[in-house]
Amino acid sequence: MISLTSYAFVSMILFSIGVIGVIARRNIFVIYMSIELMLNGVNLFLVTFARYHFNMDPQIITIMVISIAAAEAAIFLSVIILLYRSKKSLDTDIFTSLSQGEKA
Amino acid sequence: MSNLIFIALSFLAIMGGIMMLVYKNPMYSALGLLVSILAVAGLFALLNATFLFMVQIIVYAGAIMTLILFLLMFLNIKEENLPKEPKKYFLIGIGALVMIPFNVVILKAVSNLPNADMNIKEGDFGDIKPIGLQLYNDWILSFELVSILLLVALVGSIVLAKRKKTNKENS
Repeated sequence: MISLTSYAFVSMILFSIGVIGVIARRNIFVIYMSIELMLNGVNLFLVTFARYHFNMDPQIITIMVISIAAAEAAIFLSVIILLYRSKKSLDTDIFTSLSQGEKA
Repeated sequence: MSNLIFIALSFLAIMGGIMMLVYKNPMYSALGLLVSILAVAGLFALLNATFLFMVQIIVYAGAIMTLILFLLMFLNIKEENLPKEPKKYFLIGIGALVMIPFNVVILKAVSNLPNADMNIKEGDFGDIKPIGLQLYNDWILSFELVSILLLVALVGSIVLAKRKKTNKENS
């Protein structure tokens, strides 16, 4: 029998890998993917508790989280296109300005 | 049997996350994230959430990961465009140290809950029909708000992508 704690362990590990990616990496793509991994860990936790209490509300919150992640993906990736076109790099340290004309 | 499936899927999920964390090339990182997302979809199926299993595969692995991979190919990233990360493993170690107490607190809190049977149950829990009924009966307001948010994201990404051209026309 798989216990609640093992599911919680897996989802906490996924969330922690996401946080570590946001802290440690400087590539903006990897930071975005780490945020997606954090959302996945929290979704797994929510679905685990839905199964634990036999209640379907957390699964609906998970659907909301997934659709918000889709909207976030659209905005984030178009912002990345703009930044890459103006700076020709994926480094987060030089992304200090969102303006297009200004040279950093 | 389901124990073995759980162990294999959680191993794949964690390994995919670690692959995403350590590879320098963002293409390999995206493939690691894809493995992790598919493994999480399998864990959803183990938890009786059949509808979420399909949604995870279609929306995450189908739509979002395709968008990321397409964008990586579209930007034509070369080796010199990638940032140099000399202190990467040091920072990963510090991040792991920061996250340990948080994990310990949450796991201690969860392990004190009364134990319950988490195996797959027969019945329509997590199927499409009961989820749809609950979504449109109890969560209709948040459903409409999410639809407005998706419309805003659509318009916003089009405006952001077209911005350069309109700037030239104005000036």
